[in-house]
Amino acid sequence: VTDAGLASVLPLAVVVPVVGAVASPLLARVSGRLTLAASLVAMTATTVLLALPARTVYGGTLLGHVVGGGRPRHGALLQISFTADPFGLTVAILTAGLGTILLLATLSELGGLGRGELGGYACLVQLLLAALIGSALTSDLFNLFVWFEVAALASYGLTGFFLDRPPAVEAAFKVLVLTTMAGFAVFLGVAFLYGGHGALNFGQLHESGLDAARTSDSVALGLLICGFGTKAGWVPFHGWLADAHTAAPGPVSALFSGLMVNVGVVAVARLTLQVYGSASIPLHDVLLVLGATSALLGAWLALGQDDLKRLLAYDTVSQMGILAIGLGTATAPALAGTTYHLVNHALFKSLLFLCAGSIVHVTGLTRLSDLGGLARQRPELAGAFVVGVLAIAGVPPLNGYASLGLIHDELRTGRPALFVVVLVAQVVTVAALSRAAYLVFFRRRPEAYERLAGRRPGMLAALLLLSGGCVAFGILPGLVLDHVVSPAAAALMHPQQYAVTALQGGAHAAPASIPISFDYLSVAELFTTLGTVLAGLALAWWYVRRPEPLLMRVARAVHTGSVNDYAGYAVLGTVVTVTALLLL
Amino acid sequence: VIVGNYLAAAALFLLGLFTVLSRRNLVKIVMGLSLMESSTYLLLISMAYRRGSTAPVLLSPPSGSTEQSLARGNVADPVLQNFCLTAIVIGVAVTAVFLSVVVRVAQHQRSTDSDQVRGMRG
Repeated sequence: VTDAGLASVLPLAVVVPVVGAVASPLLARVSGRLTLAASLVAMTATTVLLALPARTVYGGTLLGHVVGGGRPRHGALLQISFTADPFGLTVAILTAGLGTILLLATLSELGGLGRGELGGYACLVQLLLAALIGSALTSDLFNLFVWFEVAALASYGLTGFFLDRPPAVEAAFKVLVLTTMAGFAVFLGVAFLYGGHGALNFGQLHESGLDAARTSDSVALGLLICGFGTKAGWVPFHGWLADAHTAAPGPVSALFSGLMVNVGVVAVARLTLQVYGSASIPLHDVLLVLGATSALLGAWLALGQDDLKRLLAYDTVSQMGILAIGLGTATAPALAGTTYHLVNHALFKSLLFLCAGSIVHVTGLTRLSDLGGLARQRPELAGAFVVGVLAIAGVPPLNGYASLGLIHDELRTGRPALFVVVLVAQVVTVAALSRAAYLVFFRRRPEAYERLAGRRPGMLAALLLLSGGCVAFGILPGLVLDHVVSPAAAALMHPQQYAVTALQGGAHAAPASIPISFDYLSVAELFTTLGTVLAGLALAWWYVRRPEPLLMRVARAVHTGSVNDYAGYAVLGTVVTVTALLLL
Repeated sequence: VIVGNYLAAAALFLLGLFTVLSRRNLVKIVMGLSLMESSTYLLLISMAYRRGSTAPVLLSPPSGSTEQSLARGNVADPVLQNFCLTAIVIGVAVTAVFLSVVVRVAQHQRSTDSDQVRGMRG
């Protein structure tokens, strides 16, 4: 198959799930099981389609496809173009593959729903996955906005899927308000950039460069970062995230936390590195500040939660903060670590959310204070949960160790202040998750559970696959590093080839992969891990034994639950970000 | 003329934003967001404007001009108008979802006060 043939496969990776989404409600008129089976087939086919160009792309060729086959005229291209670079393709393959596994888990968790509901559910999930794959592959700014809105619409539907549950409706309203405002920010940002440069294609925007003296460019980028930052769940745009995850069913939370938040990260990575990597306005510093705030506040709030899914959701805020710090650091090892951590986070966070969903299903309880002693009754859930916690904690052979290690290595020498921030966030994260594991599984529960639902094979298979993924990505860091994340980092660091491919389509040689070494048995990193884990356990031990500290009461009081307040925080964050970009 | 459009767009946007931030009635919040939405339409259409230009319609040109002369001549920017159409379509869909959620909230809580709809907090 020629390279042009491989490139023309790219739009199909979006078309197939969209067709699946349209077919689902129709198939549901025949049978609910058939709907889910067809959705599984569609997502498996999408994964295979994305795997076809993988060998070429990771082997050092960027593939681009201009939809409708246009050529740039006078350096301008208005057609939508899809580009597979190692970074975007990694996210796309991750989305398709993990989406398939999550559909499998859904089969067992929500298999008892009515036919109409199953049809709607399968439709929304595939629509969301299509939008996520599209946003990872597109190299057109307006098309990116459209995928953002498609993902947003699907997420509204999934959050409020059980309209008879008041929390779901409440969460849906908050998600709607904050995401709609984020949509305005992105839309205005796109319009200002187009107004200034007459360009939408990432390649053309890159060629046209950024004029720091022009106000509209700084405003546009500030709005874009804040709009996509809302989707990524960065503080102070995170008001929707915890509520949406608390109210949604387990597999949907896994989908949101593992995959949907990545839209924001991918879009910001494209804009700040591949389009405006060498801009003179302080984009990267803004990311570092957003990241540090999110990492610390998210982890701290996670420690104080009594609802298991809410705890995991705040941990997502924290992990997205780590990714923002990685993007803001913008060196090859940091970007390799960020890409690696993005994949790892998707794996272990989906695993943990599926565990949380299963716990809710098995016991009917959601509060940590009501749970306990589940390790004896459900050892397989306890095992999967502990694997997830150890992976987040970065315990060696699991996957978090390698990705966090890469980021730590870079920060330790380059940015010591941020290194401390990341370590503190890591300690609090370990404390929050070990507290959850202790309260749910290992604490003695005075009375026996009234009823425990049985095990389901689909869920067990999904848990096994995801735990296996966490182990595999942990014990094969050399392979992942050389063949996946180093090329991704190179593509992010050297935007020229990406720009050419996005504008012209066809096959172009990728930037030479930057050799990144990671010393698995480095003494410094092993000690860092040991130290954070021990400190985290000590913090958890201290926290469960005393009344809520003042700092936690303040942090909770700020999260009033009122949609007006959350919208206010987001507006304030946007104003500060735009002002910072204009003045600094 | 066009400066007036920009000012009107900014005023509409701020009015909508003020509504979203200060009104607790959920229906009013939705109305505020709709106001912000329409201000972006006005802004984009105004950005597409060029002095003395005609509509970017190349089909059936008026007598005395050809399609080519229209395309080379002075027309408003069709890309921004296209943005606007896309935004209108998305806006309609989002408003529909919004209002159906508000109806559900009103059914559950017997109230449309955002202060009554904050069971999840902290």
